[in-house]
Amino acid sequence: MATASLTASPRIAPGAGVERGPRRWLRDYRSMVSWHIASLRIWLVTLTAVQVLSGVGFVLGISLFFNHIPTSAALFVSTGVPVINLLMVGLILGPQLVANQKVSGSYEYMRSLPVSRSVTAAAWYTVCLLGGVPAMVIALGVAELRYGIPLHISAWIIPAVLLTSFTGTMLGYALAHAIGNPMATQLITQLLVFAIFGFAPILFPLAQMPAWLGDLNWWFPFRHMADVMRSALTTTPDSAVATGYVVLVVWAAACAALAGYALGRRP
Amino acid sequence: MSLTSATAPMPLSAPRIRLRSGIGYWFASFRTMLRFDFGRMRQWAPMMVVIQTMMGAGMAMTYGFFYPAITASRALYIATGAPTLALIPLGFVMLPAGVAMEKIEGTFEYVWSLPAPRSAQATSTFLLYTLMALPGTILALLAASWRYGVHLHVSLLILPAAFVSALVAITVGYGMALIIASPMVTNVVTNALVFFVLLFSPIVYPASQLPTWLLDVHRVLPFYNMAIVIRSGLADISGQPVVTAFLVLGAWVVAGSATTAWVVGHRR
Repeated sequence: MATASLTASPRIAPGAGVERGPRRWLRDYRSMVSWHIASLRIWLVTLTAVQVLSGVGFVLGISLFFNHIPTSAALFVSTGVPVINLLMVGLILGPQLVANQKVSGSYEYMRSLPVSRSVTAAAWYTVCLLGGVPAMVIALGVAELRYGIPLHISAWIIPAVLLTSFTGTMLGYALAHAIGNPMATQLITQLLVFAIFGFAPILFPLAQMPAWLGDLNWWFPFRHMADVMRSALTTTPDSAVATGYVVLVVWAAACAALAGYALGRRP
Repeated sequence: MSLTSATAPMPLSAPRIRLRSGIGYWFASFRTMLRFDFGRMRQWAPMMVVIQTMMGAGMAMTYGFFYPAITASRALYIATGAPTLALIPLGFVMLPAGVAMEKIEGTFEYVWSLPAPRSAQATSTFLLYTLMALPGTILALLAASWRYGVHLHVSLLILPAAFVSALVAITVGYGMALIIASPMVTNVVTNALVFFVLLFSPIVYPASQLPTWLLDVHRVLPFYNMAIVIRSGLADISGQPVVTAFLVLGAWVVAGSATTAWVVGHRR
């Protein structure tokens, strides 16, 4: 068969011109999303279960810290857990996945696929949203049932969720692709989990941590993610929201540029 | 040298006729295994102490962030919970992860093949890890009590309390790592376990804040009992069921060691 088609005129000729444009982009994007979902199908189910369990666990577990949990503490945890749910896939598990791919060799194969960097990034971002949003909705629902907290969800929730997830995903993307050593990636993501849960004002008010730590957090995106999400979920007026969006956009752009540079460089 | 002895008519290292056994042989093997294990552990022991201190002190710090106001009793609870917080990740996560890594690399099988009684091998692991757990635990306690400005009343009870708690974390963690064959499963189980333990156990807050059914569960599990005995050695808190806690912990040491003994006593 193979030799016959070699001697005859080849049926699948290489394209004469390079195909470009939005139609090609969309087609690649669809293929890459289905590629990710197919290759991660078991993993995604497990991941969603873990996300839901840890999110709900945190929402319920925090009440044990207090004799009678104050509404403000319940509100902070309930509106902070969605941020962690959104970050978990793109920022923590994504880099670990890439580190595993680098060890097992499939990373080089993925890079050899004929799709542009923006398509790869967009498809991965979609998968991160799929892995984060359901758990976020369930955690919020449980929080509402358990504490009866005053949630007022405004239309700002859409840009808040999209931007929080995007910044987390791009930060994870930069970590995964710009750091060569898989062991270093693993170590950094482990540290990040610890920092996000304990040393960033996501699950508790900024005023409850030392002032210097709060100031330090201003330079990192996590505090601003919590700000924009919380302002979209509650009526609490917050003057820091506009600043939050700006800082997040800057972080997202910087990380995307870094990841794009790392991916575009020939090894 | 080796060539001449190989060609010599009488081999120098002939297989022994009699089986080596007895208490003297056990202790000789134990000493050798201690040296062997210490040699393997030496290069990353400092890093483990640092990580453990950071985990214990760091977690004690972050628990404080969750409270709008830190009262004196809350501060005491968090500071005296820090040593327990430092012990649990070491025994229930780092040790099983180390065993899982040894299984992947093949070191685990190699150690089993050594001509030393497996009980001596396991005892050496237990002793070394218990000793290594102590510096990080003490440092975590010091950091947390400095952070919260807590004055501790240290009694002699802390010595058996810290030793038994470390032994529980290590024997149970090791037993778990041995009884679960697949390293991947070990990894998932231990990480999930620690998440729920650190969130739902009355280590840094009073047990009275738990629902009754959850408290009843914790009376049987080791984590709450570790917190009780360590706290009683560090502060004057009356009305704690210290004797019961020691008994439960003793039962867990026996259970963990028995699991280990059962697994290492089997040929595969």
